[in-house]
Amino acid sequence: MLDVARQAMEAATAAGADYADGRVVIDDEESITVRNQEMEGIDRSTSQGLGIRVLVNGYWGFAATARLEPGEIERTARLAVEIARAAARLPMDPVVLSPVEPVTGTWHSPMQVDPFNVPLEEKVAMLMEATRRMQTIDGLSFGEGGIDLFRRRTFLATSEGTQLEQTTVQSGAGIEATALGEGEMQRRSFPNSFRGHVSAAGWEHILRLRLIEESERIATEAVELLSAEECPSEVTTLVLDSGQVELQIHESIGHPVELDRVLGMEEAYAGSSFVRPQDRGKLRYGSPLVSITADASLPGGLGSFGWDDEGVPAQQVPIIVDGVFQNFISSRETASVIGQTSSGAMRADGWANYPLIRMTNISIEPREGSLADIIGDTKDGVFLSTNTSWSIDDHRVNFQFGCEIAWRIRDGRLTTMYRNPNYTGITTEFWGSCDAVGGREDWTLWGTPNCGKGQPDQVARVGHGASPARFRNVQVGVRG
Amino acid sequence: MPGPIGPDEVRRVADAALNVGGADGVEVLFMHEWGGLTRFASSSIHQSTHREDTGVSVRVIKENRIGVASTNDFTIEGARRAADHALEMANVVAPDALFPGLAPQAEVPGVDLYDEATASATPAFRADGVADLVAQCPEGFTAAGAFETIASEVAVANTEGQFCWSPSTMASINTVVSGGEGGHGFAEVFESATSDVDPVAIGNRAASKAVDSQSPRDIEAGRYPVVLEPAAVSTLVGFLAWIGFGGRSLAEGRSCFSGKEGQRVAAGDVSIYDDARARGTLGLPFDFEGVPRSRVDLIKSGTFLGGVYDLRTAKQAGVGTTGHALPPPNPEGPFPLNLFMEPGETSVEEMIAGTERGLLVTRFHYTNVVHPIESTITGMTRDGTFLIENGEIAHPVKNLRFTQSIVEALTGTEMIGRDTELASEFFFSASRVPALKVASFNFSGRSDH
Repeated sequence: MLDVARQAMEAATAAGADYADGRVVIDDEESITVRNQEMEGIDRSTSQGLGIRVLVNGYWGFAATARLEPGEIERTARLAVEIARAAARLPMDPVVLSPVEPVTGTWHSPMQVDPFNVPLEEKVAMLMEATRRMQTIDGLSFGEGGIDLFRRRTFLATSEGTQLEQTTVQSGAGIEATALGEGEMQRRSFPNSFRGHVSAAGWEHILRLRLIEESERIATEAVELLSAEECPSEVTTLVLDSGQVELQIHESIGHPVELDRVLGMEEAYAGSSFVRPQDRGKLRYGSPLVSITADASLPGGLGSFGWDDEGVPAQQVPIIVDGVFQNFISSRETASVIGQTSSGAMRADGWANYPLIRMTNISIEPREGSLADIIGDTKDGVFLSTNTSWSIDDHRVNFQFGCEIAWRIRDGRLTTMYRNPNYTGITTEFWGSCDAVGGREDWTLWGTPNCGKGQPDQVARVGHGASPARFRNVQVGVRG
Repeated sequence: MPGPIGPDEVRRVADAALNVGGADGVEVLFMHEWGGLTRFASSSIHQSTHREDTGVSVRVIKENRIGVASTNDFTIEGARRAADHALEMANVVAPDALFPGLAPQAEVPGVDLYDEATASATPAFRADGVADLVAQCPEGFTAAGAFETIASEVAVANTEGQFCWSPSTMASINTVVSGGEGGHGFAEVFESATSDVDPVAIGNRAASKAVDSQSPRDIEAGRYPVVLEPAAVSTLVGFLAWIGFGGRSLAEGRSCFSGKEGQRVAAGDVSIYDDARARGTLGLPFDFEGVPRSRVDLIKSGTFLGGVYDLRTAKQAGVGTTGHALPPPNPEGPFPLNLFMEPGETSVEEMIAGTERGLLVTRFHYTNVVHPIESTITGMTRDGTFLIENGEIAHPVKNLRFTQSIVEALTGTEMIGRDTELASEFFFSASRVPALKVASFNFSGRSDH
């Protein structure tokens, strides 16, 4: 397939491109869902095709096709050039690509057992048993389990001489218990909501999740939530589990530091960012305990790779150091606008889309202590676990998150269970109020396989390492 | 430019899957889409694309055991391979006790939503449209957005003899104009043909609102009467499609309307229905199981009548399918994709004039569910929020967060707009809705811009 990518790049150059890259992508997916010991769905899909990206006189063009015969490759290359020429209908500063060394290489995400080779019967049996155990809990309405497998093979050839082959295999699974009562629906998930925990790993990752062993606990909690108190509305101390810290990082740090968003390129869709180019090294983003790193080389991360879709090598980039904002995640184009080189964050959703700046693995650096230590050190507050909903404004300032479950913390102990907890805040005030970040023992590299961005819509698979953390003076219990 | 593959060739490839040996039943869903999108920001074209793809999804049934496999290899070999994979999966899974059978052979009325000029729109055509839109920005303002022209053909074939095929096109523009002293304005349009899309009008509308929304002032969060423009109303109605009207969530008690058939759930002049074949929407005449679609009244004069169903959930609920299946496998169940809210008799200007103190909202942003059974959602205002005082626009205000029950808002609806607009909140879904005046809307927080 690298030959096809090379043919595409050469055809685009022959058609008039000053710069061209051809990228062939083959995606394979498998998904299984079981509910109350019945099959909800089992499907496999495969998609392959070619995307050709060109620069002509400093304007971008991109065209993609699923058909890989020579005539179609040439037609698509000419179309990409035509699109770039049409873009010149409106003036702009020509795109300048920050330099990158051409490279030839291969990369494969780490994996012990290929999950696509594990017999379907074994996968289904695991989910059947997990849902059977959930159904043993009185009052449970639905016990559901899912397994999701993903494999992407990418072949990239650029007119600057880069030629790359990369493969990532990602495995995820999770269980969810639902209890229905009078005017209430309560859910508990494990190990995380929205189909669990996905990692760039093989079947061994799913076996380590221990879904069956945790199934009765979450079913019990779902039923208990039906009769739990509503989370009170108050300003209080908030402790979040690492799964919720993951999404807090994603929405209020990961997206705001995308340099294309900062430069206004996403304005009309999900919006821009409160962070400005001149904020580097100056903006107090959080408390001194908050250090955030983008690392595309973390084993197991959904945002890990050898090189991004521009052929820029995986990097470790400090985003926030001891609370002060330092760096954006960037592309070759956007980095050159602020006089830097690319952080290596350009990735496309399959073959049919152009690359965008996407989070790699954006993680909070662990500090000290376990979740139990943080709770033990809290006199009064609430502990929230497992995300249910998220929302943030078009500058990434005002946010609101909901979680599945909460408990009152009194004198260092979890006491009353609360249902329907949520919290809201302002990004820099919230991170500025962080006075505890857990240590390595409770730090988890989570996968977020559903990050949306761009027009046409693209979905990226990104990673976030997160520890539990504590925040002071937070509004919880927002009511309609 | 690519063009439709056509029903004959689709049927020929589908037959390769339908004839897989050892299956009790087979269904093939075929989708072919091609088109371009010209994306702009800071009044320049920065990202543009054209793509073409096909999808063949094969659902195989054997002794009520179901497997689904999909490929974008639109060849006889590709379809056959997908069928083999689906059969392989069906052979190892447990049977589905609720499997209702495949859709029977039925006539599907035609819907003329295919426009050749839209299907073959060039990058230069879209760039010219963007240039016309951008030209409406006054000094100190720039535009961002996208102009998309896409064409598609969808077909369903099954071993019961059903075959239906439909081509369609869509042209859409959305834009945010920004500039001056913190001004932002939004406008969008969805049509089946480029000839009905006017970039100048869209640019003018967004630019006018951006100029008017400059220098927004702080305002306290709290409950206010609101005038919601159609784009904001489409968010409320779109979320009801998700958390309210689906037959599966209704049957399982997960819907905000579960157990409320025949009950009042909205003000007496609120009526919502789904009709994929009506004028004014962009709908397929059949669902993704090949069942013909027809109009379904969901809320009539404020009373909830019922939801939408596919074959499986209809069997579960003991009713007939309404033709609202989504592509398989679909654990969420059926979903209305072409909602309408009946218009009223009031203009937005009259709603403003009838408001002593309240807020005018252009649209909502990044909305999500807080409590599905209470139909409570949260999100932000965006691109033009204004304080109304004494029946007039007083001044723009900074964006606010709302946390609000949709059903409560519909119950408190006081006025309904006479004009409707088509807006899309989710992929494959569009709502045609009017503006609303709502007596009380809960704004739970605020932002800094």
